[in-house]
Amino acid sequence: MTIDGITPAKILRPESIDELSQALRAETGAIVPVGAATQTFFGNPLRRADCALDLTRLSRITEYNPADLTIHVEAGVTLEQLQHALLENKQFLPLDPWNGPRATIGGIAAANAQGPFRATGTIRDWIIGMKVVHVDGRISKTGGRVVKNVTGYDLAKLYTGSLGTLVVIAEISLKLRARFARTATARVRCENAAAAAGLLSAIRSSPLNPVSCEWVGPENAVWIRFGEHPSAVDWQLRNLPAADWQIIEGAGESAEWEKLRQHYHELGSVMLRVIGLPGTVSEIVSEYKPKAWIAHVLNGIVLMAVSTSDEIRAIRSRYRVVVEKAPVEMRREVGTFAPAPAEYDLMKKMKEAFDPEGRLNPGRHVDGESSK
Amino acid sequence: MRREIIDRLERALGAAAVTTDDTELLVYECDALAIFKNKPDAVVFPANTQQVAEAVRIANEYRIPFLPRGSGTGLSGGAMAIDGGIIIELQRMNRILSVDVENRFAVVQPGVVNIHISQAVAPHGLYYAPDPSSQSACSIGGNVAENAGGPHCLKYGMTTNHILAIEAVLSTGEVVRLGNTAGEACGMDLVGAIVGSEGTFAIVTEITVRLLPKAQAVKTLLAAYKSFEECSQTVSDIVAGGIVPAALEFMDDKTIVAVEASVYRAGYPLDARAVLLIEVDGFSDGLNETAAEIIEICRRNNAYDVRVAKDEEERARLWMGRKGSFGAMGRISPDMMVMDAVIPRTRLPEVLAEINRISEQYQLPVANVFHAGDGNLHPLILFDSRRQDQVDKILTMGEEIMRFCVGVGGALSGEHGVGCEKADFMEMVFTESDLQTMANVKRVFNPSGLLNPSKIFPTHRGCTEIGRPGTTSTEEIGKRVEKMLLGQKPRAHSVLPVR
Repeated sequence: MTIDGITPAKILRPESIDELSQALRAETGAIVPVGAATQTFFGNPLRRADCALDLTRLSRITEYNPADLTIHVEAGVTLEQLQHALLENKQFLPLDPWNGPRATIGGIAAANAQGPFRATGTIRDWIIGMKVVHVDGRISKTGGRVVKNVTGYDLAKLYTGSLGTLVVIAEISLKLRARFARTATARVRCENAAAAAGLLSAIRSSPLNPVSCEWVGPENAVWIRFGEHPSAVDWQLRNLPAADWQIIEGAGESAEWEKLRQHYHELGSVMLRVIGLPGTVSEIVSEYKPKAWIAHVLNGIVLMAVSTSDEIRAIRSRYRVVVEKAPVEMRREVGTFAPAPAEYDLMKKMKEAFDPEGRLNPGRHVDGESSK
Repeated sequence: MRREIIDRLERALGAAAVTTDDTELLVYECDALAIFKNKPDAVVFPANTQQVAEAVRIANEYRIPFLPRGSGTGLSGGAMAIDGGIIIELQRMNRILSVDVENRFAVVQPGVVNIHISQAVAPHGLYYAPDPSSQSACSIGGNVAENAGGPHCLKYGMTTNHILAIEAVLSTGEVVRLGNTAGEACGMDLVGAIVGSEGTFAIVTEITVRLLPKAQAVKTLLAAYKSFEECSQTVSDIVAGGIVPAALEFMDDKTIVAVEASVYRAGYPLDARAVLLIEVDGFSDGLNETAAEIIEICRRNNAYDVRVAKDEEERARLWMGRKGSFGAMGRISPDMMVMDAVIPRTRLPEVLAEINRISEQYQLPVANVFHAGDGNLHPLILFDSRRQDQVDKILTMGEEIMRFCVGVGGALSGEHGVGCEKADFMEMVFTESDLQTMANVKRVFNPSGLLNPSKIFPTHRGCTEIGRPGTTSTEEIGKRVEKMLLGQKPRAHSVLPVR
């Protein structure tokens, strides 16, 4: 296992949360928690790695209550494993991160990984509780096991997206939803960016309520997915803005989205998450002319392939940009998150409060960059 | 409070925006959890963020506790000045600053009343989804502090799912902006951590809220039952059937009687043991089928009457009864204690039976009106605060009910917060390590501890120290008001102009 060119001196594979706790209690060096390693390219460059904690053996579904629409899983449970367990009760977790079904739930949470279902939310919206292990081996939990809960601080919000730099996520409680009674995808290739932008604008101002709405460039394909009561899906398909739509349903539908997922990984070696508004997506694309892009149109987020650090700096002068993927040198140069000073200050203090010696995933998050 | 401090506050905010008048402070001695009371030493009414920051800096300088307050509709004592100090009342900051129809968000000040957002954006076919029952009075700043819920969060999520960005004054007086209009957390989700921190992390001074398009169609049903069990089973069957209702509300016979005797009268059947108020929304196509499925489930569980609201007027009336139900309790009891436990929804029947047993044991009635779809109970213990024996009983009853709910895998609060009310119950659900972690995070945001102290964490000071129940009797308040009306003219700032 090598991350950012660093190979951990040793790898531990705890099989229970207690073992994980003992491992952390015993270790004194730099700790690198790892799930399925599907997204190790994300974050600021790792500085040190004395001990990797491979969490894939924490793979138990500890409790599943279909009637309560809740499930409690260890961090190493994969998305595929989870969705499979939910199948028989016609339930699912509406997440389809680009790093794929092999990704672990703990890893998805740590990286706040997302995909086309971004329109319906991110993992933060589904987490109801977490059990975590601190750098000194101490175990603590936040939230609970019920679908609605404001008891105490919602620390899962801080752990989600913190890239394993505050704590090691050991167990996650999730709420679930019933599978869509029917899904259908409508896809069209537009003549040019302007045509795509016009079509997307029409969709946004229409009553349609897609669960995914993606603009894929430079080919200017528009993908929209509906998931609802069959009659409501029908109505939406009938009321699409005029275009030469291809309707995809049934077994082939998921396969097409899987192709898009794979396509994401071929877009380029430098990928940015540019955060704008639904109304500025086309402006972002036309102004910065990325080589390739996938936009979560309803959220105003453009994932784009660029080439140079200068491009990143130029976009950052106007938009919030997270570097999704880039070579180590470039990440070191521009920083992954570029937080505003106030944010940076709070995050830095948070890191110090949880991990005063900077031993958890050193360099990965705010400790690996300066503020904007 | 020392004159010097009052002078500083008056210079910073204007004399009319500071009160230390003993009688006026009475208004601020509690929030809607009226059994715990303690008067602040001063209340300030900032008009803008800079004035909030200035008040916070002065409080820090003199090491005085301070806390934010919105409409005071909170039900866990979050806006009560346990240790005295300065209440920063945000009601003057009540402007909707901007609405972006195309991108579906609004930027508002914290004193804006929840429902005013939906009213303001209604012409554009949009609304703000979280709808606590107090939505015609509660402020959005308070909603953010408590991570408020409401009947429709079953489908649409809590406040935290609808807050995109905030401006906040930190405990040091520093003003920060966090989040973005896409609601995209970049790294740690600081906005998500502040929402629901009960005013102990920061004072939120500007809020960017997500707006949703109104559903094309809505169907509201009322199903009446002769037993709690059949009613609860219906809830489970609807959820198990894969239906995601917009709301799924339970009201028992005591609630029905109270509502029907009040101005919130909704036409609920007086002979029912319990009713379910069920709402589904979405596209017109498919909604009739979904409603038919629900009716079938209700009938299968022996609902003896199922009614579908035939128009918007009837729908509004059915909801008025539900949303007014807490207030309606005044028709059957002088006081009530609202509880807010959450249980796995499958455990409803046994929990309701236990609440009933506790009610009988202590000889105090408990009405049940709650968000059944997500298992968020609101047992309402009915009592008379003039009777100390009853006041003592409700605290014990509350604890017993809470302990039982936690025992079946539940939580202390679904939407009202911990505040001072449930602080001493925290150890029922959290270990020392859990609480230590929360305290560590609190120290990052609130290192001096001056911002809203003695909340959320166990104090073990007991109610006798946290403002005795009923410190100021109704009789005493009456006397003071009389004295004020007869004896002196109200001071200018008691009718502060709202900007």
